[in-house]
Amino acid sequence: MVKVRGLVKKYEVDHGDVHAVRGVDFEVPKGKFFTLLGPSGCGKTTTLRAVAGLEMIDGGEIEIDGQIVTSVPRGVFVAPHRRDIGMVFQSYAIWPHMNVFENVEFPLTQLKAKPPKSVIREKVLRALSLVHMDGLEDRPAPQLSGGQQQRLAFARAIVREPKVLLLDEPLSNLDAQLRAEMRFELKSLVKRLGITTLYVTHDQLEALTMSDQVAVMHAGTIVQISSPRDLYRKPRDRFVAAFIGTSNFFEGKVLTIGNSNQPSSVDIGIGTLHCFLPEETHRGAKVVLAMRAEHFEISLDKPAGSENTLRGKVSNLLFLGESLDCHIEVDGKLIHVKAPADIAIEDGDEVFIRVPPERCIAVDIGES
Amino acid sequence: MGKAMELSGLWGMNRRVLKIRYPWATLLLIFLILFTMAPLLTLILGSFSNSTEIGEFKDFGLQNYARAYLRQSTLVILGNTLGLTVGSVLLGVTLAVAMAWLVERTNIPCKGIMYAAIPLTLAIPGVLHAISWIFLFSPRMGYVNRWLMNAFDLSAAPFNTYTLPGMIVLEALRVVPTSFLLMVPLFRNMDTSLEEAAAVSGAGPFSRLRRITLPVVSSGIIAVLIYETITVLETFEIPGILGLPARIYVFSTKIYAVTQGLETPDYGQANALAMAYILMAAVGVILYARATRRAERFAVITGRGYRPKLLDLGWWRYAAVGVAGLYLTLTLVLPLLVLFWTSLLPYPALPTEKSLALVSLDNYRTIAIYGATWKVLKNTALMVAATAVGTIVLSFLISWILVRTRFWGRRLLDMLAFLPRSIPGIVKALALIWIFLVLRPYFPIYGTVWLISLGFIMSFIAYGTRAVTASLLQIHHELEEAAYISGATQLVTFRRIHFPLLVPTFVGLGIWSMFLSVRLTGLPLMLYEGAENQVLSVFIWMMWDDGQMGAVSGLGVLTILFLFLVAVVMRRMGFREVGGHR
Repeated sequence: MVKVRGLVKKYEVDHGDVHAVRGVDFEVPKGKFFTLLGPSGCGKTTTLRAVAGLEMIDGGEIEIDGQIVTSVPRGVFVAPHRRDIGMVFQSYAIWPHMNVFENVEFPLTQLKAKPPKSVIREKVLRALSLVHMDGLEDRPAPQLSGGQQQRLAFARAIVREPKVLLLDEPLSNLDAQLRAEMRFELKSLVKRLGITTLYVTHDQLEALTMSDQVAVMHAGTIVQISSPRDLYRKPRDRFVAAFIGTSNFFEGKVLTIGNSNQPSSVDIGIGTLHCFLPEETHRGAKVVLAMRAEHFEISLDKPAGSENTLRGKVSNLLFLGESLDCHIEVDGKLIHVKAPADIAIEDGDEVFIRVPPERCIAVDIGES
Repeated sequence: MGKAMELSGLWGMNRRVLKIRYPWATLLLIFLILFTMAPLLTLILGSFSNSTEIGEFKDFGLQNYARAYLRQSTLVILGNTLGLTVGSVLLGVTLAVAMAWLVERTNIPCKGIMYAAIPLTLAIPGVLHAISWIFLFSPRMGYVNRWLMNAFDLSAAPFNTYTLPGMIVLEALRVVPTSFLLMVPLFRNMDTSLEEAAAVSGAGPFSRLRRITLPVVSSGIIAVLIYETITVLETFEIPGILGLPARIYVFSTKIYAVTQGLETPDYGQANALAMAYILMAAVGVILYARATRRAERFAVITGRGYRPKLLDLGWWRYAAVGVAGLYLTLTLVLPLLVLFWTSLLPYPALPTEKSLALVSLDNYRTIAIYGATWKVLKNTALMVAATAVGTIVLSFLISWILVRTRFWGRRLLDMLAFLPRSIPGIVKALALIWIFLVLRPYFPIYGTVWLISLGFIMSFIAYGTRAVTASLLQIHHELEEAAYISGATQLVTFRRIHFPLLVPTFVGLGIWSMFLSVRLTGLPLMLYEGAENQVLSVFIWMMWDDGQMGAVSGLGVLTILFLFLVAVVMRRMGFREVGGHR
């Protein structure tokens, strides 16, 4: 439904150009929820705005529903108001001089074939009811709360039943509790409507919970596109592993090469870890292993299987309610571990931590 | 126990500090009440008094009102005033809104020139602007008229600037710069995502302008309209130079004419006329206060860092820049050129071979050796300095009380600082004449430049208070508290913390009030009593009355160049003149 090929965007600054986006390719299948995830300044919003036509690009092509809407090589540019899209802005962009009804009605009044009044009214009311804003039609826009503005912006974006829905950090201006609520609501709404959705966020939780597919962006490029589960389980590189969740990284050297049943072994300085490495890895190669804080098992007594077990001292303990956040010092290196809240450990305790081989992921493989 | 003692001690100290603050705040309040209300009261009393002596109150009755209002000419004056005001405000603000939108939201060329030149037009005093228009468009000697008549063999002059439409056009051009300066930030600060949201909703460029951009800034436009209405309502210079010779009166010039009555000036009638005038201005000021309150509610909605995408006007941008160019030609280039050209000649003449032979600096020599010139410059300097200092000190004191104390009369103080703004300059002068004639034995400042300063200060504190209050609010409480914690007394804190941070505002305010007090003619002209208090603007007016066109032009060129310099300095300091009258 949406295809982006080789998207490049430069900004002129005092000394030369800065690349905001340097060659981005992705494709959003019809009816899917696709998220661009990344830290601020990674180019995700610029990419979204390019799809909307709000940003001129310096290279590449954008296609919506089989029609090329932007193409630098072919010199094509379709103005945003001629694209069949709906968009929710980060600031919501609720027009302050209109009331709720007028805000939602506006996109319908701009249609080439303007529908009759009764149809417009019916569609507006249906959109408002979808976002649970029935009965607020006459409320002036400046009198809405943050959550209501967000819902209104969403109703306005979907009222024309556009082919593509663009969402630019729509939840970032809400408080934490409302954000959690809206995550569920937004997801079920989009699913119910079946609109192809392109979503931009810096919040990994939003990306993981709502998307069919996530593209992680870093410094103007996409570093990984995969399903939320794969993103979490198989981060392709160190940036993705660090950005999603809390990971520990160990630089090490490959000692022995295993196969799909037999893990390889890697010397990480403070011990030897067993893990599954990609097939092409050879002995002596330098690797970076990533392990998530929540994948460690922690115990006071030495566990039965001694494989991948490290011995250390609890050096810092944070009680988070649902879990314990602790730093375990192993030979002078701190390892971030998330333990069940009910485990009885104290600062300074001697403990054993173990990580299963399948939870050690090689994220960076160098030459020997 | 010890803690409790300390706490109560703190409370005690607090209460003591508040008690110390009250007396001088109260004193200032009383002073302001006298300063603003007393002239108003004298004015009202005087309008009922039938004494032929100004400053004497006796034989109360309604005769003044009868003389002022029970005649048809008053209706004509009312019509002229409304015509001039409505016509020039609508025309001028429309032009200003269009130009502000063009420079902020489209890809029109020559933006740099427009940003710099449009505010610069403020430097041309109204009197000189009107005089330059007489040189250009008067039926008999207007250069443009004579040139057109020669070129196209016309039998009559195509333009006549001594008419109401003539005044409306010139006044409209003079409305543009302040409106432009007020509109630019509105367009700049408007959240661009509001327009983008309309774009992705399917609205084209024209639809976006009509349905989103203009309605969002509409409350701002309304505020500008009301603001300019107040300003034009009290304008004196344009109708004074262009209207008086043709006997086309508006309220301000009528009041001036009545006080200059051939045999005896009729101050009673002037007062009675002033009442209707004050009422109109007061309504305007109240509306303005309301409109700006509403505007602030909209203004809160501002966007984040995206630079607005500029609208591509295509070939239309050359038409647009043409309109802007025409505006600048009429407002800046032609007036300056024509004044400079005339200043080199013994009498106004079109540039021909014959007149080129007459070019000399004689007029400048006349100005320099003319004895009155230096006295006038000295008077002007004293008046300007007193106005600047008075405005700064009073504005600061009021702002300080408004922002940094819990004085009970703050709202009243705020109102009193704003109130004089609703009294037109001519009327203010009239009120000052009344009260200081009465007070002459005790405060002998009638007929001095100090009275002129007093009148200007009354007008300027409305804006001055707003400017200083804004700066004071930006100085965070904690900066001051950190100084106290470091052991500084209140006085030291003010000297070392507040004062250095406020200096730019003070300097800007000083230059701003100097700029205005040089340009405005109405008030000093009303208060003019002879060589002792003749200032530059009055001097120019008198010379024009004497028909010394060359010398007036020369003086005008020098004045405008000086004001240009001041304007450039002002902009360099980042101080924008938006609160002003003209």
